[in-house]
Amino acid sequence: MDNISISLQEGSRKEVSEVRVDGVIDTLTAGELEEVLDSLLKRDRFNIVVDLAGVDYISSAGWGIFISHIKEVRANGGDIKLANMISNVYEIYELLEFDNVLTAYPSLDEARDAFEGQLPPGEKKKRRS
Amino acid sequence: MFRRPIKEINAEFIAEEKYLDSIQKTVRESCVAASMSRKDIASVLLAIEEGATNVIRHAYLYEKGIIRLRVVIYPKLVVFSLIDYGRSFQPEGSGTLDLERLVESGRKGGLGFYMIQKIMDSVEYISTAGFNELRMIKHISEPSPVGRTFLRRLFTLRVKFSIWTFFIMLIIIGVSIYYFDYRTSEQMYKHKHETVRALAETIADQAAGYFINRRSDVEFDELIVSYRRANPELQLVVLTDGDGIIRAHSDDILNIRKPYVAPDQVSDSIIGVPQTFRSEHRVWSYLVTPIMTGERLLGNVHVTYSTAGIYLQLTESRKKIFFLTVILVLFGILGIYLLSNYFVSPILNITRRVRRFTSGDLEAELPLTGAEEFFEISRAFNQMMTRLSQDRRNIVEREKMAKEIEVASQIQQTLLPRQLPSLPHLEIEAFYRAASMIGGDLYNVFRIGDHRYCLAVADVSGKGVPASMMMSILRTVIQIQASEQVSAKKVLSKVNDYLVDNMPRGMFITVFLVIYNARSHKINFVSAGHNPMLFFRADKQEIMKFNPKGMPLGIPSTNNVSFDDSLEEIALTLRQDDLFFLFTDGVTEARDRDNNQYGLDRLTNFLQNYLLEKSKVEVSELSKAIVSELDDFTGFLKTADDVTFILARCDLSEKQPSQEANTGVEVKHMQDEHPADSPDRT
Repeated sequence: MDNISISLQEGSRKEVSEVRVDGVIDTLTAGELEEVLDSLLKRDRFNIVVDLAGVDYISSAGWGIFISHIKEVRANGGDIKLANMISNVYEIYELLEFDNVLTAYPSLDEARDAFEGQLPPGEKKKRRS
Repeated sequence: MFRRPIKEINAEFIAEEKYLDSIQKTVRESCVAASMSRKDIASVLLAIEEGATNVIRHAYLYEKGIIRLRVVIYPKLVVFSLIDYGRSFQPEGSGTLDLERLVESGRKGGLGFYMIQKIMDSVEYISTAGFNELRMIKHISEPSPVGRTFLRRLFTLRVKFSIWTFFIMLIIIGVSIYYFDYRTSEQMYKHKHETVRALAETIADQAAGYFINRRSDVEFDELIVSYRRANPELQLVVLTDGDGIIRAHSDDILNIRKPYVAPDQVSDSIIGVPQTFRSEHRVWSYLVTPIMTGERLLGNVHVTYSTAGIYLQLTESRKKIFFLTVILVLFGILGIYLLSNYFVSPILNITRRVRRFTSGDLEAELPLTGAEEFFEISRAFNQMMTRLSQDRRNIVEREKMAKEIEVASQIQQTLLPRQLPSLPHLEIEAFYRAASMIGGDLYNVFRIGDHRYCLAVADVSGKGVPASMMMSILRTVIQIQASEQVSAKKVLSKVNDYLVDNMPRGMFITVFLVIYNARSHKINFVSAGHNPMLFFRADKQEIMKFNPKGMPLGIPSTNNVSFDDSLEEIALTLRQDDLFFLFTDGVTEARDRDNNQYGLDRLTNFLQNYLLEKSKVEVSELSKAIVSELDDFTGFLKTADDVTFILARCDLSEKQPSQEANTGVEVKHMQDEHPADSPDRT
């Protein structure tokens, strides 16, 4: 069956939390990711980078987590930045026009730098084609 | 609207999240069959998962059920349908759902449907009695990289063929020219050296005589100068004596009596073998020939000569060969191109015909001419076209038939009563579910006269149009005869008289007919080869089977037994809470996944248990219980035959509706949705 593994890193750079997800985010596994995200928000950590390098499928349950939390996060001056999407996932992200509401970066460093450089939310870097 | 489908895939899945994977697998295979792009497949898989998840959650509310997946592939689009038999749900936020609003609300609901709408080109939710369909259409995007098609157009078969043959020709010509050129120059040089050697030997012979006769220096000089003049290729001729002292020198007489020094790069001690050296940017050959008398060496002839003449000659001829080759190759390419026309034109011809065929000219036959290979292609093509047009005609026929069936089905639907009359002291409930588009079952409840009512259940052998025609006749005839005849037996006997003459051979009808007298609470019943009636005596708390003898309707009487003789009529008086159950074989012959029949025993036991448990029986509830019992048994498999039954319960209490109240009970007819081409109908 599909599986998911999530690791959380809240170290090196101040206030940026990194969530690394591997596997498939669908109806069955989305709950786990939501718990991790909720725990971050409860502790007022609103600058979040989600590393999706190991994720090859995200269903509505997965996207729903980001969509439903983004408003709260931004209201608190933070952002949820998605990094390292594989091309299959990125194509869906574009097709579904999630790029209008969520920011994505081709690499983890660029996502972190975006927090450093105080890029205004909504601005996104072009991914390599 | 669409062109004809290329392929249709039907599959059923249990509506549980753990089966989503198998749904995905089937969808993926269908997408690949439709040659969708990898990107489209990924998004379609996502949309289907969202759709199926919605069905599991909202249509079945996580309860057990079936999801039917139908994928129909057309030339330019694919229609995906997810069909369920659960609760109809209006997809959340259907219509215009925008992302901003979703973000604003901080909710997740409706995101799945939003995704489906984004991914699919058209989404429809159709909800009718009995089933819901989520129909999603995805266009197949045309793979059209412009550059590739341009290159393709440029590199036609002919051009490719010409280029390849050109290269092959070039290699063959190049190799052979190189080989012959090498051989010729080798031989020419060899010949040159041989000529010079012979000349040097002649000089040596003469010089030997001169040495022996001690000729003067002048005579020696004249000897070599004369040879030098006669042979212009000789550059320098020098005679030396045994001690290496120059005796004669063709260039400079002053060198006489001086020791001979060979030119740089060559040695005068290598005798009889041509050597080469360079001087003043030219290549010279050098040959030493001994002057002998017997065994004694008198001296040497040193000859320096040029081979430049050969080189010039070779260059000249190479130029000629090169021009000749270029001209030959040019003509060759032209020839190959023209020749390839000869091969390709039949192919182009076939292409044109195929185009004509695609644009609708079914008679576009290929002429059976040309080379054997094309003859075969043309023949195969003609056969294919014949088959195709035949198939097309068959399809048209089949569609016509499907239309007829649809019409017949509509007729049949009108035959079933929309409303049951309400009977005094008899509570009734009827159920009907068609197995395919047209069933062969019929039931009816109607009033005859003041206080008499007729209840009938019938099953026409066979299905389709003839069966439904027979049903409509049967319905009318029963209604007419019931109002004229007194006894149930008489009714059926008259009905049979009429039908026997009008029924197609081999067809028959089984009927169970009950006449209920509302005043005496008596029922009279007959059976024409039909399933038994189950009768529950409330005061005895037991179920009895009544199976009055009788032959089916429409079978011509034999000498021994006539229909009327075979018919047995039974009469009973109903008491409070007595209940009877009329049904067709669709009930008892329903099969489960392992092909086991439901059977009369199981039915009897079920009814017995149900009735013993309940103190107050509602026929409408019992009817639902029977249906769900059957569905449980079959596991929602389609029943092979129509399922029809009538339930009647006697209630002698005073709060009965008056005889005049004829508003009656609404009847629900279930029509299982089966696509026109589901496998079990063909």
